Amino acid sequence: MTIWLTLLLMAAVTFATRYAFLEPRVPIRLNNAAQRFLGYSAPAVLTAITAPIVFARGQQLDLRVDNIYLWAALTAVTVAYFSRNTLLTVAVSMPVFFGLKHYLQ
Amino acid sequence: MPSTDTPSKVGPDTRAPRIQPFSRGAVAALPLCVAVVPWGLLTGSLAIESGLSPVQGQAMSLLVFAGAAQLVGMGLIKAGAGLGSILLTTFFISSRHLLYSMIYRQHLARQPKRWRLALGFLLTDELFALTSQPAPGAGGFNRWYAFGVGFTFYLVWNITTFFGLIAGRMIPDLNTLGLDFAIAATFIAIVVPMVKNLAVLATVATAAVLAVLCEVQQIEGGIIIAALGAMTVGFLTTGKTS
Repeated sequence: MTIWLTLLLMAAVTFATRYAFLEPRVPIRLNNAAQRFLGYSAPAVLTAITAPIVFARGQQLDLRVDNIYLWAALTAVTVAYFSRNTLLTVAVSMPVFFGLKHYLQ
Repeated sequence: MPSTDTPSKVGPDTRAPRIQPFSRGAVAALPLCVAVVPWGLLTGSLAIESGLSPVQGQAMSLLVFAGAAQLVGMGLIKAGAGLGSILLTTFFISSRHLLYSMIYRQHLARQPKRWRLALGFLLTDELFALTSQPAPGAGGFNRWYAFGVGFTFYLVWNITTFFGLIAGRMIPDLNTLGLDFAIAATFIAIVVPMVKNLAVLATVATAAVLAVLCEVQQIEGGIIIAALGAMTVGFLTTGKTS
């Protein structure tokens, strides 16, 4: 029961953030500073989710050479930087990751 | 309410064909599904591991439809966190969508309500990344194209969640396969092109350091701390450089 309640409320929260400014009755006028602050939310949140996946294993910092997440992430960053192409980045770094995993572990 | 969507003065593309832009959108979404597939599988298997029933796991993907929020949310459910902190974290993880919807507003504010609801519901990082710039050769925003993109992600997300739920019951250590790299790859692909100035670079660096620090120190609400800290640093850095 608690889980169902949690799921429904989570759905309400995510939908609310997505729909908020699509509703014409919601005034768009956030002041400049608020908009600028919010402008950093996408890189901030996405990085905050990504970094522990890459740099930590089992709640331990893992900077060892055999951390394949590091190498695959480095590949992704390099491809993304030079190509600016979402698809290419994913399509190159995922096989690199699973290739490394297959051959090294 | 059958008449709200009949061709009227809602927009330039009302009389445009539907099937063609829809299928073009669906095709445009397919390549990014390379990342959605393992992520969906992971989500399904994690649902089982977090103690959700298969029906609840599927319902989560059907209703919440947010990879990052679902993943973090299930982690919190598994850890026995309270409803308040789960919802607060969900809000912070989803706060970037406020920005997306602000930018999408120009395309959708004059569309019929059901289009706003539908595309609002489907508004993910991936949909935003693919449609915030005009579709190639389409000349501006096309709602059927956006719907094709968004609905394809929704479909693939739910199908792969389904298989993840099945696999999660059969293969107990599915989460050691490294499917989580799909998340990292997707987000790196979205974030790196955003780094266009020092302020965003500072934001990303701060978020990474704080998030890893919180993870290693097992501090609760690490994502909120990292995101807010990083946004503050980015905000203050712009102030200094421009």
